[in-house]
Amino acid sequence: MASTPYSLGQTLLKIDNVCLEYDGRPVLKNVNAEVRKIIVPGRVQGQVVGILGPSGCGKTTLFRIIAGLMPPTSGRVSVNSFDRPVKAGEVGVVAQSYPLFEHRTVFGNMMLGAQQKEKDAKVARDKVMALLREFGLEDKFNLYPAQLSGGQRQRCAIIQQILCSEHFLLMDEPFSGLDLLMLEKTCELIAKVADMDDLNTIIVVTHDVTAACSVADHLWVMGRDSDASGNKLPGSRIVQEYNLIERDLCWHPNIITTPQFTSFVRELKEEFRRL
Amino acid sequence: MNHVAAVFAPNSVLSRNTVRILVATQVTIVFLLWAFSPFVLLPKPVEVLRALGDMWQEGLGGELITSFYLNLEAIAVATVVSLLLAYSAVMPFFRPVVALLSKLRFLSLVGLTFFFTLMAKTGHELKLSLLVFSVSVFFVTGMADVIDSIPKEKFDLARTLRMGEWRVVWEVIVLGQVDKAFDVLRQNAAIGWMMLTMVEGIVRSEGGVGTILLDQNHHFRLAAVFAIQLTILMLGLLQDYGIGMMKNLFCPYAALTLERK
Repeated sequence: MASTPYSLGQTLLKIDNVCLEYDGRPVLKNVNAEVRKIIVPGRVQGQVVGILGPSGCGKTTLFRIIAGLMPPTSGRVSVNSFDRPVKAGEVGVVAQSYPLFEHRTVFGNMMLGAQQKEKDAKVARDKVMALLREFGLEDKFNLYPAQLSGGQRQRCAIIQQILCSEHFLLMDEPFSGLDLLMLEKTCELIAKVADMDDLNTIIVVTHDVTAACSVADHLWVMGRDSDASGNKLPGSRIVQEYNLIERDLCWHPNIITTPQFTSFVRELKEEFRRL
Repeated sequence: MNHVAAVFAPNSVLSRNTVRILVATQVTIVFLLWAFSPFVLLPKPVEVLRALGDMWQEGLGGELITSFYLNLEAIAVATVVSLLLAYSAVMPFFRPVVALLSKLRFLSLVGLTFFFTLMAKTGHELKLSLLVFSVSVFFVTGMADVIDSIPKEKFDLARTLRMGEWRVVWEVIVLGQVDKAFDVLRQNAAIGWMMLTMVEGIVRSEGGVGTILLDQNHHFRLAAVFAIQLTILMLGLLQDYGIGMMKNLFCPYAALTLERK
C-alpha cells in the first residue's frame, strides 16, 4: 500500500494538563493531548481519534470533560483555538444509548439541534431535511424515536449533534453490542461524517480495539502508571499515542484484512493487557 | 385451550377479544357471587337498584353534580399548584419546601379542619381548600419522584444542544414528562374522590354525595350506601377514562414502548 501524503495543520482541540479528583481521589492525572487538522491534498479529510482504555480507567469521565459537561479539577480543554474552556454544546455528544427526546418526532428532535445555530426556521428546516436525506432517514421524519430501529436511532442522534455542534462529535462506545454488519456500517458512518467537512473531528471512546483501529487516524490509549512493585497508581492519563497515518493504517479500503493491521491490533492488545 | 393457558402464563400478551371475554367472565362471576351471596347483611343487586332509584327521585343527581364540580375544581387547582411546586424544586431554594409539603401527606384532614376554617370565608372555600391540600400533598410527592427519576443523559442531551438551564427545565422536565404528569394526575384524581366523601362529611354545607353517604351509613341503609358507592365508582371510572384519553391524545408516544398497551 502506498502511504497517503498528508500534513498537519492548526490545533482543533487541546486537552491541557487535565486533572480530576473525586473526594481527594485522583481519577484523571495530567491528561495532555491535541487534535490537529489533517490536510490531504485534493480531498476533504476529517479527523477521527479513538480513545482506548480498559474499563474503569476514566474514559467516560474524560469524555464528559471534553464535552464541556463537567469541569476538571485543574487544566483545560479548548476547541478551535479559543482562549477559554470548552462549553457544553460546542462539542456534539452521542451517548451510548443514543438518547433523543422521546416526546418529539425525529423532525422535532432535529429542529431542536438546528435552531440552536440557525435562527431562520426555513433554513434550519432545509438543513434538517437535507441531512435526513443524506443519512437515508427522510421517510422517518414524522416518527417518534421509540419507533426507530437501533441503527436509525444512532443516525438520528448523530445528525442532531452535527446540526448543533462546531464540527466536533464525541461518541461514547458506538460499537458496543453491535453485530459484525452493524459494526461495519457504524465505521462507515463515522468515516462519512468525518469526511463531510475538513474541520469535522470525531472522537470515539471505546474499548473495542479492532473497531477503533479500523476507523481512527490517531489513537490515544488511556491507562494508569504502576509503582516499582507493579501496583497500579491512582489516576489515569493518556499513556500512549499512535499516529495511524504514519503507520499507513488508515484511509485504505478493507484495511482490517491486511497483515499490518492484524499485527498492529495484536501489538495494541498486548499493550492493553499491561494497563 | 391455548387461550386458557395464555391467560395464566406470565407476561403473555392477549388479543383484544380475549381480554374482553376475560373481563366479561370476571364481572359476571363477581355479579353472581354478589347476587347469590349467603351473607344476609349484603344488599342484593335489586335492592341496590331500588335504593338508587329512590335516591335519584330525592335529588341524588343534583348532589352528584355538586360533588363532581367540587372535585373537578379541586383537581384543577391542585394540579396547577402541585405542578408549579414540583417544577419549582429545580431551584435549590424551594427544595426543602417541596420536601416538607410531601411529608404532610401523613397528616389527618380532621386535625387540619380548624386551621382551614380560620382561613376560609365560605363552606365551599373550606371544602375546596381541604381537598386541594389533601390532593396536592400526594400530587407533589408523585411529581417529585417523576422528576427525580429522569436520567442524567437527558439533561446532558439538552445541554449539548446548547440549551440554557431554564430551557433544559422546559424541555426535559416539563415537556419531557407530560405523559408521566398525566399518570400522576390520574392517580390523584382518584384520591380526590376518596377524600371528597371525607371532606363533605366534615363540612356539610352545600351537601354533596359524601354527606348523603355518611347519612345513609349512619342509619345503616346498606343498599343506599352500595348504590352511592357504585355511582361514585362509575363516575370515577369515567373520569379516569377521560384523563387516559387526554394522555393518548397529547402524548401519543407514551405507549409506543409498552408491552401491555
